Amino acid sequence: MLPKFEYYSPATLSEALELLERYGEDAKIIAGGTDLLVSMRDRLLKPKNLIDIKKIPDLRQIEYKEGVGITIGAAVTYKDMLEHPIMEKKYRVLCEAVRTIGDIVLRNRATLVGNICNASPAADSAPPLLILDARVRIINKNDGVREVPLERFFIGVKKTILKPTEIVKEVFIPEPPTNYYGKYVKMMRVLSEDLTVVGVAGLAYRDKGELIVRLAFSSVAPTPIRVREVEEVFKKKDMPIDKKIEEAVKISSEKVSPISDVRGSAEYRLNLVKVATTRLLKELVGVV
Amino acid sequence: MEALKYVGKSITRIDALEKVLGIAEYASDIELPGMLHAKLLLSPHAHAKIISINYEKALTVPKVVSVAVGDDFPSRVGLYVNDRNVLAKKKVRWAGEPVAAVVAEDLEAAEEAVELIEVEYEPLPAVLDVREALKPGSPLVHEELGEYAHSPAFNPIPGTNIANRFTLKKGNIVEGFNKSDVIVENEFYMPQVSHVPMETHVCIGHYMADGNIKIWTSAQSPFTVRYILSHSLGIPLHKISIYTPHVGGGFGGKAGINFEPLVVLLSKKAGYRPVRLELTREEHFLAAPLRQGFYAKVKTGVTRDGKIMAEKLFYAFDAGAYADYGVNVARAAGYSCTGPYYVPNIETESLAVYTNHQWGTAFRGFGHFEFLWAIERQMEILASELSMDPVEFRLKNALLPGLTTATGEVLREDAGRIDQCINAVAEELRWGEKPLTKDTKKVRAKGIAALWKAPAMPPNAASAAIIKFNEDGTILLSVGVTEIGQGTVTSLAQIAAEELGVPVEKIKVVPFRHTDLTPYSWQTVASRNLFMEGRAVIRAARDAKEQILEIASQVLRAPKDDLIIRDEKVWVKGRPEWSLHLKDIVAGYVYPNGNTIGGPIIGRGYFVGTRLSYLDPETGQGYPALKWTFGAQGVEIELDLETGEVKVLKLVSAFDVGKAINPMLVVGQIIGGGIQSLSLGVWEQYVYDDKGKMLNPNLTDYKIARAGDIPEEIVPIIIENPQSDGPYGARGVAELSMLSVPAAIANAIFHATGVNINDLPLTYENIWKALNRKR
Amino acid sequence: MGRKMIRFKINGVEKIVEVEPNKTLLWLIREELKLKGTKKACERGDCGLCTVLLNGEPVKSCLVLAVEVDGSEILTVEGLARDGELAPIQRSFIEHGALQCGFCTPAFLIVGHWLINKNPNPSREEVVEAMNGILCRCTGYKSIIDAIIDAAKNMRRA
Repeated sequence: MLPKFEYYSPATLSEALELLERYGEDAKIIAGGTDLLVSMRDRLLKPKNLIDIKKIPDLRQIEYKEGVGITIGAAVTYKDMLEHPIMEKKYRVLCEAVRTIGDIVLRNRATLVGNICNASPAADSAPPLLILDARVRIINKNDGVREVPLERFFIGVKKTILKPTEIVKEVFIPEPPTNYYGKYVKMMRVLSEDLTVVGVAGLAYRDKGELIVRLAFSSVAPTPIRVREVEEVFKKKDMPIDKKIEEAVKISSEKVSPISDVRGSAEYRLNLVKVATTRLLKELVGVV
Repeated sequence: MEALKYVGKSITRIDALEKVLGIAEYASDIELPGMLHAKLLLSPHAHAKIISINYEKALTVPKVVSVAVGDDFPSRVGLYVNDRNVLAKKKVRWAGEPVAAVVAEDLEAAEEAVELIEVEYEPLPAVLDVREALKPGSPLVHEELGEYAHSPAFNPIPGTNIANRFTLKKGNIVEGFNKSDVIVENEFYMPQVSHVPMETHVCIGHYMADGNIKIWTSAQSPFTVRYILSHSLGIPLHKISIYTPHVGGGFGGKAGINFEPLVVLLSKKAGYRPVRLELTREEHFLAAPLRQGFYAKVKTGVTRDGKIMAEKLFYAFDAGAYADYGVNVARAAGYSCTGPYYVPNIETESLAVYTNHQWGTAFRGFGHFEFLWAIERQMEILASELSMDPVEFRLKNALLPGLTTATGEVLREDAGRIDQCINAVAEELRWGEKPLTKDTKKVRAKGIAALWKAPAMPPNAASAAIIKFNEDGTILLSVGVTEIGQGTVTSLAQIAAEELGVPVEKIKVVPFRHTDLTPYSWQTVASRNLFMEGRAVIRAARDAKEQILEIASQVLRAPKDDLIIRDEKVWVKGRPEWSLHLKDIVAGYVYPNGNTIGGPIIGRGYFVGTRLSYLDPETGQGYPALKWTFGAQGVEIELDLETGEVKVLKLVSAFDVGKAINPMLVVGQIIGGGIQSLSLGVWEQYVYDDKGKMLNPNLTDYKIARAGDIPEEIVPIIIENPQSDGPYGARGVAELSMLSVPAAIANAIFHATGVNINDLPLTYENIWKALNRKR
Repeated sequence: MGRKMIRFKINGVEKIVEVEPNKTLLWLIREELKLKGTKKACERGDCGLCTVLLNGEPVKSCLVLAVEVDGSEILTVEGLARDGELAPIQRSFIEHGALQCGFCTPAFLIVGHWLINKNPNPSREEVVEAMNGILCRCTGYKSIIDAIIDAAKNMRRA
């Protein structure tokens, strides 16, 4: 049985912010509920108030502006996101990652913003969002909206910069580079579906002939991380591509800090980082 | 010989409709007036003294009716060794052992109250490894082992952690090894795993004020629950009633007696009201019994030309905190120890060992999944040592009819053909053809493993059947085998239809088991029920036919041996115009003037195995086996050498089932068991921290196969060499289908890489580690 | 804890229920409405056996609060057959023997029913993807996948 709580289902964003202001520490936002309700059932969280944001029209928008980017509201489910025509076209690597989260039924309810706010180091949506330069728009009752790059949003295992009276209104992903090729590789313990043992998102594109590569990981550090040093490697002149890949893999394996847990040992995870990154980079440079 | 009308046909299972309508009744659906809800408090320690339990605060929670602890219940329970406390007493023996139970008007109140119980523990050194548990000076799980009553068939050794020691001797082991050219010794291991039935343990107990006891339970063996409860509480059997509807998966985890004594005693303490307990998934992982863990040392001697001369076997089962079925698992593995091969000289020691792990119970395969892992890996290693093809090596040593088993039983002519099973799998896999590998990082390979099993049951295990005719000629078939998904009752209805000449649609199998009403069956386990209930049903049908012919003979004025029963009629042979409808006989025949003869027809039949015997306490010689089912399983795999990821591309299984009474149901068992075997071998394990606390008690981290994990190609092969004493020649297949997939996979990995992996599970990480160790 | 009044339709029947916020949709279905076809087997979203259709979309009812279904339409396994006629998915499961203990069957039927109505010609991969969220310990899934593909075929023919 879930612990006892009061339930609010505000119809507007300002109502929700008012409730947050009032209850702050003792409140949790519920959207899909697929992480929150499990934590509550396990008694890891016992919020006295739940604020359901699913009825707020402002938070259910998914809006694309050509040349600018796409905005995905806090209550937009993965299903709604995947059905939006632009997502597959422009943000395929994110769609690929999202399709590895849970299963199709879970994705009818779970939300992208929920995944970010839950801030698991294994969050599958995070690596693609990081390499796509996603930004988080945070709002509270008094201060209006502030925008923070996703990279600065995560600060620890299941910890974000959000204050108790704040909510993420939406995620903004800028217009991606033209003709980029991106891929998310999720290493699991099984073939079907699992939490991520090691996840790596990469994208590559040519900018005036120059090869640009971006790489980000999940499940290998306290937060999902983008390894910017790798990007520098690919910018180097006079280095053969094979050497660049080798160097990038070496740097990645130094920048990650996987732990040993019930899903895998640190040693094995490090091996997966090396193998998955090598294969991914080879594929990226092969296509672009 | 007329063609069979119902037996051998893939008719739809008789419970399919209620299950697709969502109206099939399970124990978890039952609600009773005045029912209370129980919630357990589990021990966080693997081994600790209970210093004190304070539940004052728990009693103050509104709607809480009572709280119980171990000291409230005087007697222990046990299947074969009377070692288990209903709630922990004096000390806790595994991390997860129930220490207290709250009973309340609703579950929410019970959950709230459980959190307010204060227990003071004094941790004790825990023994968390089966080999450690055998060392002198190891912490003892049961210091009082010598005081426990136990079945004479088992040998617990007081002062140790040995719950049962089984030994077997055949031939002369020293001579055997002397005659061997090559001797190979290896160690093998597998951890504890869970049944993961979709329906967790759930039961309702009602201790009534008049001293009668009623239980509703998701259990495989209601008669065993009744018997053990009666024995433990000193209450005669006729005062205990157990009701079991559909079971949402058992796999052995519900084969014995689990939480029924607890709810019954809670009911008494709570003022004689019914008490319901349903384990959450986490509680099921932490408190319900598991499969025993396993360690083996196998030493085999072979001649240069590939004949096994001698085998010395040491099997140790990690039975956990309470012995339960573990003692019999050790025994069964002990007497089947060699696998389906002829070995002239054998020395076997098979132990059930107490540890501070969760207690073990029956699990599909019953020791055979475990020891076949060891034997089938060893066979592969031996073949490699001899530079012999592994299929050829197995065939060379195949235990064929006429040869003697480890217990000295000469295999009967119609015992079944292991060679045909192995050949069928090899052929389907195109053994000998090397699979194509396009990617240097991903290798493909094939592997095979053989298997066998007989029901592990006492010689007096029995089944009975009742056939009742309704006044309209329809039939009620009542049997004791429970419906746990395997669908045996459908096959039994087919057998009854065939015997009685009545369409199978007119036969209803009573859809629940009730120990007051449905006839006795020892247990629904061991792949024994089709055989034993099948024979009982045939006898019940013949008994009913006798009674029918007795009356028909009088009415038709013809001798009984001139009459036949067919198509719901009785008629004089050659004279179909002199006939009677069954429905006019089966409730009593009424003459035109009102005279009535006969009465309601009830056919009854029973079956026990013929001349099964106990085993010699030293040498293990005797006749334990009702029948042996042989089989083989093979795989083609793709192995990613850099990540250890193994993918089974094709899974082939062949079994000599004697006769497939319902081929669709047999295929269902073959595929279902095959996937369960794959899942257990590759993905499943209990992961503990160094204090014995289980780290993956949920379905996120205890992974079982999903739809996306199954091989692209699954080929079930049914071989039918009928066994003359089986019902229409049938044997049994339900456990056999899950015995050897992990061995086949590990054998394939060996062929792909030359690396022997002798420990389960074959997780990608474990495979990678093994491959890396070689480098 | 503030109880809420919720009004919804389940299997075509309108219901008004007063419920506490901490009760899930699964609890509402099994304990309040006594519809036992939908199963409880993990309450964490891992097993999928609690799956029902909420406003036409499959959801894990153990992770939906009862208060959230105000104004919604719910379909459970009990609502698949209409006027004594089995749904094509149910007929297919029977024909293929795609069930053993039956505990997972309602969930597979609900998701299967949803899938073949949404996608009349699902590939084997699409069926597997849709079914990945539901656990079965008995059948090994093959007969279930076959039954769903066949049900889609039969629907196309009808």
